Amino acid sequence: MVELSAMASVFTDPYLIALIFATTILGIIIGVLPGLGATTGAALLLPFTLTMEPVQAIAVLSTIYVSATFAGSITAILINTPGTSASAATTFDGYPLAQKGEAGRALGIAVVSSTIGGVFSIIVLCIAAPLLARVAYEFRPPEYFALTIFGLSMLASISAGGATKNLIGGVFGVWLSTIGAERVTNIERFMFGNYELYEGLSFVPVFIGLFAISEMLVQSKTVNLIIETVALKAVKLPTKEDYKKIWKTILRSSGIGTFIGILPAEGATVASMIGYSEARRWSKNKEEFGKGSIEGIAGAEAANNAATGGAMVPTMVLGIPGSGTTAIILVGLMVHGLRPGAYLFTEQVDTVYQIFGSMLLANFMFMAMGLYAAKLFARVSLIPRPMLWPIVFALSVIGAYAIQQSTLDIWIALIFGVIGFFARRHGFAVAPIAVGLILGEMVESNLQNSLKMFDGQWWMILTQPLAAFFLVLAFLGLCGPYIYGVITKQKD
Amino acid sequence: MQKKLYITPIFLALFSIAIILISLQFDTSPEMIVGDSMQARTFPIFLMVINLILISFLSLQFFKNYPKRIELEIFTTWFTIFLFLLFYFLTITTDMFIGITVCMFLMGYTWGEKRLWVNICNAIITPGAIFILFDYVLKIRFPRGILTNIYYG
Repeated sequence: MVELSAMASVFTDPYLIALIFATTILGIIIGVLPGLGATTGAALLLPFTLTMEPVQAIAVLSTIYVSATFAGSITAILINTPGTSASAATTFDGYPLAQKGEAGRALGIAVVSSTIGGVFSIIVLCIAAPLLARVAYEFRPPEYFALTIFGLSMLASISAGGATKNLIGGVFGVWLSTIGAERVTNIERFMFGNYELYEGLSFVPVFIGLFAISEMLVQSKTVNLIIETVALKAVKLPTKEDYKKIWKTILRSSGIGTFIGILPAEGATVASMIGYSEARRWSKNKEEFGKGSIEGIAGAEAANNAATGGAMVPTMVLGIPGSGTTAIILVGLMVHGLRPGAYLFTEQVDTVYQIFGSMLLANFMFMAMGLYAAKLFARVSLIPRPMLWPIVFALSVIGAYAIQQSTLDIWIALIFGVIGFFARRHGFAVAPIAVGLILGEMVESNLQNSLKMFDGQWWMILTQPLAAFFLVLAFLGLCGPYIYGVITKQKD
Repeated sequence: MQKKLYITPIFLALFSIAIILISLQFDTSPEMIVGDSMQARTFPIFLMVINLILISFLSLQFFKNYPKRIELEIFTTWFTIFLFLLFYFLTITTDMFIGITVCMFLMGYTWGEKRLWVNICNAIITPGAIFILFDYVLKIRFPRGILTNIYYG
């Protein structure tokens, strides 16, 4: 009951409603601008939430997350350029349908599917998160250590980059977390005499560098790109016939997206790809896929927005980010004094459910805006890059400075921008570095505590059933595909 | 030409080895503090050993499936990176906001916006608006410089 009233309070708080309304507009603008996705947007906006109350701050970040994830579909359909990577699968059928003169119908299906996917995942979030929190109460250092290893192993399957490259990125991220004074012994590590690094690398400038500045450098290669738009008259709600055709796809993709979102380190991009391919597999009209199938649009869009709610489950309950954007939301929680974990669900129930309520409201807001203002938002994507990216530069620099009011953070953001850019150029995704950085401290401290528990006998971790379960899952996640490949090769 | 692609694993391996060597220089704590846990150096070394194993996997993958050739960066990219250095120099010698304005102007110009007034407006209005927002709303004080000294007094 407390939970429901906390959720409902969001819908009666005029300030929060206005804030979510404004952030939804901003989130859609961020989503439609190619290159500026939910992660970059959340990283850039995090400093602006400093003076807000925790609920308002997380509401802003989570609204950016859900609205930008949806908005990527607008440009995916109208200009064949996904605003976010999560909308890449929407281009497969969205753009061909728009070329047939049915851009409004394509957008209508994207809006409705995204909203249903998003609402479905929040319902699951409200049910699954407290249940998982109850299980997580039982977790001790060995279980947490094994869980973080499982989370890191999941990096291998993030869509961008290869498995090995993602793992290297993850290990690099974990190493970054060792910079600063070691927690138990206070021995300085990799500080090179710079005492501003004593507490370790601040997450925000690293994230701004990895996501925003590196993206700016990537975009610098596309300055001469000419964008062709498809005409859009009005966004149409799906007809009864359309609903009959896509309702199963939407429900299936909502389930898939939520489940994939819950898996640590997996995000909306993976969800949309799987949602799309499953929609195709189960469709009676497979031949329509790639030529403007409404099932294809619904499959991808329901899945990517469902992943947003799913990804919040491990983030809030276990402190393990479900995606790059939730990594930033996790940092937002910490900056505002909320320690993610099982205790969040007993000590700050109101706050947790107000955050969930905000996400729910954001879903309805972007639905309304998607239906009535998509044409207007589509025009935003035509803002010239030579004007847009210098603004991103200014926001990045000042945003990096603002959190700790330290100029060192600006240089850290710029350095990580360059590192992130060259990493991406050589096929390394930057999300694993961010996830590794967040999980690094958890890995080390839980390993230390486990070793203390077992008098230095590390193998005793394997004797703990839950810890062993997570480690087996991690092993299967990493080696399963290779073992399966070897077995099938032998059979052939 | 193809051998150049091995630069990535070689660079990563050298980086990992360097981290191991640096880690070996860390102080060690007395047994009574560390107890059954790890020394400060152990964890980074452990990570870099894992990294070296992964890098060897990566090299094997390169050997089996040669990756696509990576195109060289274009002038705009290099110039944008150069602007970061210019921004650093201007920030420490003059003012952060002078650095931002100059870099925004030059970035806009090299990225293709040839209308000077558009670039000038963008480079002045944006940092100005952000400054006002952060100063009045978020109460953040910016580092001292030529402009901020005038403002803060």
